[in-house]
Amino acid sequence: MSASAAVPTDAWSSFAARLSERLNPIVVKEVRQGLRTRAFWVFFGLMLLACLTISMVAWATAAQTSDAGQGFFVAYFVCLAVVQFFVIPYTAYRSMAREREDETWVLLTLTGLGPRRILRGKLLSFVVQGTLYASAAGPFLVFSYYLNGIDLPTIVLSVVLGAAWQLFLTAVCVSMATLAQSRLVRGLVHFLVLGGLLWGFVSGIGFMGALMESGRQWLTEDAALVTATGIFFTLVSFAALLFEAAAARLSLSSENYARGPRLVFVLQVVVGLGLALWAWREEHFSSDLLLVAQMVAAVYFLVVGLFIASDHDGMSRNHWASSFRLQLFMPGALRGYLLVLLGLGAVSLVLNLLYPVSGTEVLVMRAAPAYVALYLSLSMLVARWLPHHPALTAVLVRVVFAALLLLGMGAPPLVAAIAGHDPTAPAYNVFNPLLGLINLGRPAHASEQRLLWVAAAAAVAVLLTLGSLLSRDVRPQVARV
Amino acid sequence: MSLLEVRHLSRHYGALKAVDDVSFTLDEGTILGFIGPNGAGKSTTMRILATLDVPTRGEVLLGGKSAVDWPDQVRPMIGYMPDRYGTYDDMTVEEFLDFFARAYRLKNPQRAQRLNSVMDFTGLQPLAQKLTAELSKGMKQRVALGRTLLHDPRLLILDEPADGLDPRARIELRELLKALAAQGKAVLISSHILTELSEICDSCAIIEQGKLLATGPVSEILARSDGGVHSSELVLRLLGPTGELLARAERLLLEQALVVKVLVEGAAVRVRLELPPGSAPAGGWADEAAARLLKVMIGAELPVCSFQARELDLEDAFLTVTRGRVQ
Repeated sequence: MSASAAVPTDAWSSFAARLSERLNPIVVKEVRQGLRTRAFWVFFGLMLLACLTISMVAWATAAQTSDAGQGFFVAYFVCLAVVQFFVIPYTAYRSMAREREDETWVLLTLTGLGPRRILRGKLLSFVVQGTLYASAAGPFLVFSYYLNGIDLPTIVLSVVLGAAWQLFLTAVCVSMATLAQSRLVRGLVHFLVLGGLLWGFVSGIGFMGALMESGRQWLTEDAALVTATGIFFTLVSFAALLFEAAAARLSLSSENYARGPRLVFVLQVVVGLGLALWAWREEHFSSDLLLVAQMVAAVYFLVVGLFIASDHDGMSRNHWASSFRLQLFMPGALRGYLLVLLGLGAVSLVLNLLYPVSGTEVLVMRAAPAYVALYLSLSMLVARWLPHHPALTAVLVRVVFAALLLLGMGAPPLVAAIAGHDPTAPAYNVFNPLLGLINLGRPAHASEQRLLWVAAAAAVAVLLTLGSLLSRDVRPQVARV
Repeated sequence: MSLLEVRHLSRHYGALKAVDDVSFTLDEGTILGFIGPNGAGKSTTMRILATLDVPTRGEVLLGGKSAVDWPDQVRPMIGYMPDRYGTYDDMTVEEFLDFFARAYRLKNPQRAQRLNSVMDFTGLQPLAQKLTAELSKGMKQRVALGRTLLHDPRLLILDEPADGLDPRARIELRELLKALAAQGKAVLISSHILTELSEICDSCAIIEQGKLLATGPVSEILARSDGGVHSSELVLRLLGPTGELLARAERLLLEQALVVKVLVEGAAVRVRLELPPGSAPAGGWADEAAARLLKVMIGAELPVCSFQARELDLEDAFLTVTRGRVQ
């Protein structure tokens, strides 16, 4: 008789059995596998040993210093960070990559779990493992409070932001693992993950160090809460976006793969705008903050928008193609592009309406979304002019975008220099997304006429792109590969 | 109505036609052998049937429901076993099967019952607590088959299940598949080991370069591929044959009625008999022809020491249908 058939005898066993029935099976499997590995127990033991050693040092030196808590907190935090910011995300990457390499992924998909539930299970199981490590290190972190020199809010904030950072890094790693198709790409991705995690570890520790230095003072400032919320939201929402992008990549061709990433995109836009307005209020309605928000929005729409909009033309199945075209959460390049344009328009409209109509910065505020629309549209348009296999459209759009951006920023100063003029001359850099914007912000070079040129070019590019995508959306395409 | 209906299925990758206009059906309780050389399109077709890929054109109906439009709804009817085992090395057999049973949303006590029934059927009960990494290939294959059966699917899609197995494991797998068909499951099995399939398949589908060349029972495929000609084959051996003796036998045989081809292979002589095109075969025509040939050989004082009819099998069907175009 199998063990799983055993009937629970007491209340606790009964509760555990009921809980295990409700849990995502991936969590049960991953935690079971994780706790069975030698690596888990080695790192767990080493972390405890290091924390104990630090505690003994703290106990031995306690009589000599009265505010050593901060230093010891950082020491404990580094011990925890090794596993939280490096070991756990890397293990998550390996676990996901192995599912792909061994093709067990396919078997999981066929059970009806679906990519989102599988990925959620993976992430959650590594959060559980992280919690196990943190619960062991927790008493030591709290112990540092009793050594004086650090307050409880700083400790709590560090732990919460550390957890968000771990979630973000784990999501990045799981997402990266879904990229690995061929052996060559796998090798490259592995190298990138290791490098990225080293950077993530150092950055996490660096950020925590900075927080320790100015934590107490910073926590009393007006904008402390909105800043902390902003950092937390950025980490968690980008983790969610990466998670949804990975789930979309792993979805079968017959599934609605676009809904998840686009929902998170909309959530980021709405909450991001809300946070910007909250920070604007906290900063006493500073126009500079609106300008920064517009620039951040421009970069965001350029990068994230590019991925949302660079979907395949048409649909892999007729019922998608025949659905209403303005169902923006359904797959397809036209719908993705429209969603990005709507988001960009809405955010820019709100920020521009709030911005005082004075000074040259107002031109920058208005030009930024125009540049985004121009470069995004041009990439989509040019990629479709180039002959390619329909399955490669999305990749080609991104490659063309990078090429156009480099060309747009590099070519005008070069031409100006060859012609013997100042490389930053406004006449040459009208469509340069970097120098064009900088010139519009300089009182000496500000010109509404150049803003109109950029806006007109963007409008033409948008119209041409819409026309092109509309015609391709109704034409049957080869299914996704 | 057939459980599985494949209609004009095509899958193109740019200019490459991996699957090109493939149609066939499969009934419950039958085993269909999917035969073709490497790269013929077997695995691509099977992946589409298992809802892992979508066709460029065509339709797949499972129990009357489109597997392309409603993959979520037909998946519970499908048990797919890819050509890789797909086991987790650090899990025991029981943990592995229990995990997949949970993934299929089976709740206790039904899950435990199903697990036991699958482990009994596949003979995995004694290995329940063994790590899958410690199992032989044959046993891993049983674990994979057990996983495929957990949710009691109506259609089993098995991609090269006998690949890499030793003879004993192959025989055991064959028996398991026969038992599954007897339970009423439809089984689609691919292999390039034709002798393996010929013993268990009720019918076969031969695919080459993405195109389905023939489908149906082996005897029908042979008859169809020969343009309706009915044929049989004899193998005879001569005592201490010399080149001269074999040449004499070959000449003599070729002079006889119905003999269309004589092939000397070492000490053996293979004789192909065919009825004239369009003629209706009378029962036992091949036996009568064999008796007549034996009489002629003995009358000519040729030292025949063995003489037997050889039934044409899947291998013959495959070679006839593909006409040696195998890459």
